[in-house]
Amino acid sequence: MAEFSAELSRRSLLTGAATAAAATALAPAVPGQAAAPPAGKQAAGIYRYKVGDIECTSVNDGARSFPMPDTFVRNVPKAEALTAAEAAHMPKGMVTVPFNPQLINTGGKLILIDCGLGAGMLEPSKGAVGRMMGNLAAAGVQPKDIDVVLMSHLHPDHTNGIRAADNSMAFPNAEIMVPAKDWEFWMSEDNRAKAQSNQMMKDYFANVQKIYAGIEDKVTKYDWDKELAPGVTSIGTPGHTPGHTSFVIASGSAKVLVQSDVTNIPELFLRNPDWHVAYDVDPQQAQETRHKFYNMAAAEKALVVGFHFTFPSQGYVEKDGAKYRLVPIAWNPVL
Amino acid sequence: MAKLTRRDLLVGAGASLAVGSKALAGVPVAGKQVPSFYRSKLGDFELTVVSDGARPIPLPPRFVLNVPNEEVLKAAEAAYMPKGTVFAPFNPMVVNTGSKLVLIDTGYGPIAPTVGLLPQSLAAAGIDPKSIDIVLISHLHGDHINGIKKPDGSLAFPNAEIKVPAEDWAFWMSDENMAKAPEGFFKASFGFNRKVFGDIKTRVTVYQWGSEVAPGITAVETAGHTPGHTSFVIASGASKLFFQADVTNVPDLFLRNPEWQVMFDSEPEKAVATRKRVYDMVSAEKMFVSGYHFPFPGLGWVEKVGTGYRLIPAAWNPVL
Repeated sequence: MAEFSAELSRRSLLTGAATAAAATALAPAVPGQAAAPPAGKQAAGIYRYKVGDIECTSVNDGARSFPMPDTFVRNVPKAEALTAAEAAHMPKGMVTVPFNPQLINTGGKLILIDCGLGAGMLEPSKGAVGRMMGNLAAAGVQPKDIDVVLMSHLHPDHTNGIRAADNSMAFPNAEIMVPAKDWEFWMSEDNRAKAQSNQMMKDYFANVQKIYAGIEDKVTKYDWDKELAPGVTSIGTPGHTPGHTSFVIASGSAKVLVQSDVTNIPELFLRNPDWHVAYDVDPQQAQETRHKFYNMAAAEKALVVGFHFTFPSQGYVEKDGAKYRLVPIAWNPVL
Repeated sequence: MAKLTRRDLLVGAGASLAVGSKALAGVPVAGKQVPSFYRSKLGDFELTVVSDGARPIPLPPRFVLNVPNEEVLKAAEAAYMPKGTVFAPFNPMVVNTGSKLVLIDTGYGPIAPTVGLLPQSLAAAGIDPKSIDIVLISHLHGDHINGIKKPDGSLAFPNAEIKVPAEDWAFWMSDENMAKAPEGFFKASFGFNRKVFGDIKTRVTVYQWGSEVAPGITAVETAGHTPGHTSFVIASGASKLFFQADVTNVPDLFLRNPEWQVMFDSEPEKAVATRKRVYDMVSAEKMFVSGYHFPFPGLGWVEKVGTGYRLIPAAWNPVL
């Protein structure tokens, strides 16, 4: 048999492909012998998990890969940030940021935590983002069934999805709940005036005020440490924004932490908790919050859901010296 | 000021003031997982990982031949597997080469409630079993071959050519080897082969290592786990995937600890040597890898860490 046994060597792997490709090229498919047509599209980005009696669904809004801006990480050289991105096999020179709202069915209430960039972004982004409504439909959920839209903070990738592409309310029957401290901060004309020299902040203020224009009186402001819906409690984790909020979802003895943006992408900012992402309002406070939150999550061995973790956006945090590492969950094919 | 305290997380919703206790029926829960399939492009090829399910294996007295269960369970717990078990997923893959629809490995069949899900994963992915042209088998263990037949004994992929590694065919179809096999897993494996292949021998083609077993798919010798255990290099254009089959079983145990010998290995020491050879190579080459027992969808890269390795799972791509 020796003559048949291909010695596995680096060379055989490297040449193997070329040989195979050449062989394919020599034997082009004739029309009658074509395989079934390719599907040409991805599976829906939905994944269910249970927290005690509560059924949760991670509902992907898409992901965006873009050339890493020079100051994507404010306090380290770009080269260092790019090295971390490459170690995570992101496309060369780029950074990939996914977006994952969570649907919580408590049995009595259907709650959507954060709602993505909005269906209006689907076309301009060529389908990269704004996918949440399609994925909700794939999950069998109708927009009118959502009882509560719960915002972790008022950045566009979390809040803009309350509006449909035609600017009407995407969830017509939902109560919209926002963190009181973020509302106060972003709706303040004083703060807005002070931010005019900073393009990013200027845009953020303009966005919040545009998205909430005309519905100000329909919005419920919530405080931290409150049970906002059965089993869903708000936890203050400020820094990223002044009112940035995480949530504990608990039922029976089960619990998960919905961390929102305590870190942006874990490949950079969970591995390097002292790195400051460009989008933080108060980077130093965000860093302190990060350490507090992850020390706790690691000690508790708590399941953490991250808005910017790769879909299905869940994992456990383990300490690795002064850093942390995300241990992604193993996908469970059965609920 | 961060208001976050440890107490918050511990108490959490413990401060249950039944808010919103309106007597609402609410929207019923779905009560089931979504279908588990995932697509990826590889050059001009379209790959679809179609889950056959997963199951927590309660540990037999010696799951890893050269390591006590206590240590094994520590590694399992560090990977957050269900307490006292090793969580093993099963990931067959469909490769659409444009000219052939190839299914690599076929799952366990319905031997437990949480496995044997391949037919429903295929259906959800819109893949008709009748359209599969080639069923390509990495090695002749039950969790890879049983899905060739439906529970009623008929062929699950009636129009497919079934291709199996020559060395494994010779080994597992030998009555002499079966007579010598120890009771338990090995005896059962011989039994699975007879049940699956006994009456369809003429439909089976054996393949040799180093040959192109389907367009763009080359069989690569990675023996040890079984005598004929085979991996596949799937290549289209400049893109390439190393389908490692069972070079490791679950990565949290055996990629992290490549010296550990899982009880399912025919030749455990050879399997260790193969493992190191393969992972030194795929880590140096930064090759894209798929693992049959990696967490779904089982795609990623391998990085070397000290004397072991670590899996870097590929980020889920929401758009094909």
